[in-house]
Amino acid sequence: MEYQITTERLSKQYKNFKAVDQVSLHIRKRSIYGFLGPNGAGKSTTMKMLLGLTPPSGGTFAIDGLHFPQDRIAILKRIGSFIESPSYYANLTGEENLEIIRRILNLPASAVSDALELVGLSEFKDRLARKYSLGMKQRLGLAGALLGRPPILILDEPTNGLDPAGIHEIRQLIRSLPQRYDCTVLISSHMLSEIELIADDIGILNHGRLLFEGRLDALRNTARTQGFDGDNLEAMFLAMIEQDNAKRRERAKL
Amino acid sequence: MKTLALEIKKVKRTGSLAVLPLAGGLGAAYALVNFLIRRDALLSLPLAPMDVLLTQLYGMILLINLFAIIVAACLIYNLEFKGQAIKKLWMLPFSVPKLFVTKFILLTLGLAAAIILENTALGWIGMTMLPQGSFQLPVLVQFAVYSFVTSLPVLALMLLAASRIETMGVTLGIGVAGFLTGMALGTSGLKVLLIDPFIVMLHPAVAMSAQPELLVMTAALLEATVCAAAGFLAAKMRAYE
Repeated sequence: MEYQITTERLSKQYKNFKAVDQVSLHIRKRSIYGFLGPNGAGKSTTMKMLLGLTPPSGGTFAIDGLHFPQDRIAILKRIGSFIESPSYYANLTGEENLEIIRRILNLPASAVSDALELVGLSEFKDRLARKYSLGMKQRLGLAGALLGRPPILILDEPTNGLDPAGIHEIRQLIRSLPQRYDCTVLISSHMLSEIELIADDIGILNHGRLLFEGRLDALRNTARTQGFDGDNLEAMFLAMIEQDNAKRRERAKL
Repeated sequence: MKTLALEIKKVKRTGSLAVLPLAGGLGAAYALVNFLIRRDALLSLPLAPMDVLLTQLYGMILLINLFAIIVAACLIYNLEFKGQAIKKLWMLPFSVPKLFVTKFILLTLGLAAAIILENTALGWIGMTMLPQGSFQLPVLVQFAVYSFVTSLPVLALMLLAASRIETMGVTLGIGVAGFLTGMALGTSGLKVLLIDPFIVMLHPAVAMSAQPELLVMTAALLEATVCAAAGFLAAKMRAYE
């Protein structure tokens, strides 16, 4: 199996709080990996570590065999990312914002219009980013991640703030990316119903620990063997989280 | 050069690059108007004409420059924090510490432009309004360099503060507090106080002679280097959490 991103017992500790606890991920090349977990599970922290935004407290990870911090520039050259909320220059238009990223990445001028077109923002390219609605800012952030069609995409809850039509549109776009651009996508969400429609593989995180990793089909089979409806993964996911929370409470009592 | 061009594109519509040259224009206009109105009073002071020209007008010019430096430093970094643009930079193959250096270079060029404008006005006054034969161009150039060098520590310190503090009001507050300490302690004459960049900047304005002081120049260069290096190193260590 060819993995593009692997983590080995990756951990992040903030004083007494373990945000990520020995997480080992295996993300296949040209696949969509859905990173699932309730709010505060450690999804964003894991993604931030993969982008070198925060150093791990323990464990290692490799992206295309490269490591932080020594290969920072080489790694970031091949990753398009969107973490938490969109980042933009409020004083610049949507197009000018992408132009800054394009210049940093040394991409041809056509990359900007390509990305704007892809996220459906061409019509609003001349509007100042500070005047964008939340959904438009989200699209701008996505356009920034897609700029230059990078081989790896790390997207943290990219559909936040979008209306239902926008969610559907972006979901379709993300779904099509591995075939269209030959890329690998790591996408996080706290909604299994969303990940279920996009991902090939799935990792379920709760309180920093990885509860499940594997193909979506494997999760369905696990659900069936545990007496859940294989078509209702949401119930299985919630039960998994609740079970883990109960175990934690039990451990805390002891 | 690429980072510099990128930075110039980024500051569009913020006015951060225009602040210092505008302050230079304002300082030049102030010097011209002031000398036109108060020429006789100024020239009757018990000072050499060149000292009158360079020290008696410099007080207000310095204040204009000081506040322009504070505002420009705040504006040039505020654009990175507003909209969390700096977070994106950390995720790109881009050297964030270089950002500090580029902004420092841009503000230094702005300050140089301001000082050139102001000293061009002083030169014109010297050539046309000082008593015949008393204007000395080399003294003017020397004083211009002196005022430029003594302004650099405040520029580096304010940029360091602006790069670390996301709330622009706090950075502005630091600038105003620095100005007040400079005003309160600048005339004390205690050499140890030269450790304060604001006192160093105010020094040429409180001196009665236009002659540069070696100790002040050395302190200025040292402080500017320390603050700029601190800003660069701090930017190197800071990731986005």
